[in-house]
Amino acid sequence: MRGATSAKWVAGAVIVAMAATACSTSSDSKSAGGKTGGNITVVLGEPQHGLVGQNTAESEGAEVLNALFTGLVEYDNKTNEPKLAVAQSIETTDSKLWTIKLKDGYTFHNGEKVDAQSFVRAWNWGANQTNAAESLPFFDKIEGSEELAPGKDKTPTATELKGLKVVDEKTFTVSLKAPFSQFKTMLGYNAFYPLPKAFEADPKKFGEAPIGNGAFQMDGVWDHNKQIKVKRFDAYPAEGRAKLDGVTFKIYDNLDTAYNDLRADTLQIVDKLPVSAMASVAQEFGDRYIYKPESAVGYVGLPLATNPEAFGKVEIRKAISMSIDREAIAKTIFNGTRKPADDFISPIIPGYRKGALGEAGTYNPTKAKELFAQAGGIPGNKLELGYNADGGHKEWIEAVANQLKANLGLEVTAKPFAKFGDLLTDLGDKKYKGAFRMAWSMDYPAAENYLRPIFSKVAIENGSNYGGYVNEEFETLMANADKATDPAEGLKLYQQADDIIIKDLPYIPVFTYMSSSAYSKTVKNVEIDAQGRMDLAKVELN
Amino acid sequence: MGRYLIRRLIQAIPVLLGATFLIYVLTFWLPGDPIQALAGEKRADPLVAAMLREKYHLNDPFLAQYWNYITNVFQGDFGETFNGRQVIDLISEAFPYTLNLALVAFAIEAVVGVLAGIMAALRRGKFLDQLVLISTLMVISIPVFVTGFVLQLTLGVELKNNWGIDFFPVSFNEADGLRAYLLPAFILASTSLAYVARLTRTSLMETMRADYVRTATAKGLPRRRVVVNHALRNALIPIVTFLGADLGSLMGGAVITERIFNIHGIGGLIAQSIHLQQGTVLVGVVTLLVLVYVVANLVVDLLYAVLDPRIRYA
Repeated sequence: MRGATSAKWVAGAVIVAMAATACSTSSDSKSAGGKTGGNITVVLGEPQHGLVGQNTAESEGAEVLNALFTGLVEYDNKTNEPKLAVAQSIETTDSKLWTIKLKDGYTFHNGEKVDAQSFVRAWNWGANQTNAAESLPFFDKIEGSEELAPGKDKTPTATELKGLKVVDEKTFTVSLKAPFSQFKTMLGYNAFYPLPKAFEADPKKFGEAPIGNGAFQMDGVWDHNKQIKVKRFDAYPAEGRAKLDGVTFKIYDNLDTAYNDLRADTLQIVDKLPVSAMASVAQEFGDRYIYKPESAVGYVGLPLATNPEAFGKVEIRKAISMSIDREAIAKTIFNGTRKPADDFISPIIPGYRKGALGEAGTYNPTKAKELFAQAGGIPGNKLELGYNADGGHKEWIEAVANQLKANLGLEVTAKPFAKFGDLLTDLGDKKYKGAFRMAWSMDYPAAENYLRPIFSKVAIENGSNYGGYVNEEFETLMANADKATDPAEGLKLYQQADDIIIKDLPYIPVFTYMSSSAYSKTVKNVEIDAQGRMDLAKVELN
Repeated sequence: MGRYLIRRLIQAIPVLLGATFLIYVLTFWLPGDPIQALAGEKRADPLVAAMLREKYHLNDPFLAQYWNYITNVFQGDFGETFNGRQVIDLISEAFPYTLNLALVAFAIEAVVGVLAGIMAALRRGKFLDQLVLISTLMVISIPVFVTGFVLQLTLGVELKNNWGIDFFPVSFNEADGLRAYLLPAFILASTSLAYVARLTRTSLMETMRADYVRTATAKGLPRRRVVVNHALRNALIPIVTFLGADLGSLMGGAVITERIFNIHGIGGLIAQSIHLQQGTVLVGVVTLLVLVYVVANLVVDLLYAVLDPRIRYA
């Protein structure tokens, strides 16, 4: 660590400057061609927490963790179906008690075997409220979670989840509080990654240079705000072993700079292109430009619980939905970087049905106006549309406002909030009763994840049900779907629950997001997964 | 002289305290919830958020929070961010880059600016004078981020892709050494450089008409000595004042340049901590910048005495 007094800094800085000028050899990231081996540099933003799966909820940390860890299951890059990774089998007869068997051959980067205990250790840590880990809510389905997270101002009465039992070195069982048919799909999320013994000694230090079980291992420690270097882990099972020697995650504040670095080939993959690149990237990068749907859905949210006078009638909600021209918004506001939404479930998720929104999702201003008039309109004929001004939402919210104005004759005002958090706080305090912009991106690729966290009763307190929507029929169907033992049958029930949401329209889906990435001509086999992460183990040099 | 120095340094203490207090008040008043900001677009888990609020005393009244902060500072603890990193680490990681950038920029600004000004002043109305006037006017009127992006694209990307010249890196890379600082420092310095050049020109032209310069010339001194030893020394006083104040603003004002060239310095740290409402980081950085200003101004005042023999400090 550098000295703490400014005098030392100045001296240090001068030395750094002199040393830096003395050696100015350029250590370019390209090395000679060849199928395997070589190093590349890819884009990253500074992660918000130490690199521990249980304490990472944002995309930048998840990107690095994805290279360093392998979970029980992984998702197929194309279909998003879960496939077994570290797990040999994940079985259940009642969707409540799950038996998980592990494959041989997975070890941590320090040589320690990936055994049942390494998963139990990680989950117990994540579930314990004293660690205040971001993923805490992901463990509340497991039996005994309330003992580890009893709530604010209370102390946990246990340190181990009652529901986790190690059977032998390679087997453990998970007992859930209630059946949950999507549990297997959920297990690919980074909250469920394993942790080695070394973690327990010093979790904070571990987060700076994690010892994982993935295709890449740390090469040094996290150089904050600059880079994170990883190198191939040679003891990784042969089929998934990385082709490259190493990858440098270079940390950028500004994606425009990253894009210019990509053009100069000092950076090889950018998986989040800046808006400014959208006009030219297709032409400049050709088939090295990847453009595919991603998991997020954008909505207009409605505060049903706090403002039933305005939004209580389903006809009103339907009229609002039908007077939004989704095609026009996707095309003219987003230049095609979003697609009109036609289901509450994202198109990339198993269970999505094309055109499920039906009439409610079809632009029909005449019918909308009729419906709106029949239902008696909105008191005062006024509507507020709230959005956070820091995320580039102004244009589309204003477009929606104008369409509602033109098609329903409503007086619509677009109301900016400085930050998304302010909007949430005002909604929570019932200070704001207007419509609001909302978006959801999945935690794991299951239809269930597009319904429960946003529209269920439990999500009013602990999730993202900001509208306060409650429907008992929906709750029953979700519970039944959870209980299903046959995945196909479960999915059918989730779709029925989706149908109820489509009929009720508690939120109005407007568009689904698309992810855009590009890579330089020095690399090939670049695949981006549904969470917008690079599949680095597959990447090769040209 | 010694007493003067000590008095000036003691004066700096209330300035520093006042600045930290003001910044603390301002960040406290920022709308929004820093814990929610950590969780991004999803709602922070209520239990986790409550525990973090407790840990960082966010529920305490403002004065209690400030008292807590300032007493820790006096014990050498500058606090930590909401994700558990020491503020002192953040600053000491970022500071060297900004300092290097500011020093290179300062050198460019002082050397090029003063030389251009002198040449323009001595060749008044000639081609060189016109060139300096027009080019500085252009530099002043184009916003920094335009020059920044255009030069980054032309010198960083196009030059490499079309001509194979890989001299100016697109973004900052420590391994490139001084080379990595050249373009960003030039852009950072450009506006001030233009002001320095114009200031030097005017100031020198003014002093060249002074009586003592005429006397020196009449005395038969070579023109070089007249200009350098007699005229320039006096003409430099306003320039030194400007440069001194500018060193501080080069350090604090590098936000745009640092962003364009991906230099993770103080500017970026300020922007980031405002966005994430990390009050402790902001107060730490601003205190440091206040310190830089105070020291730079002190040095400027002391330099007056060197340049003008009539000025003495007691």
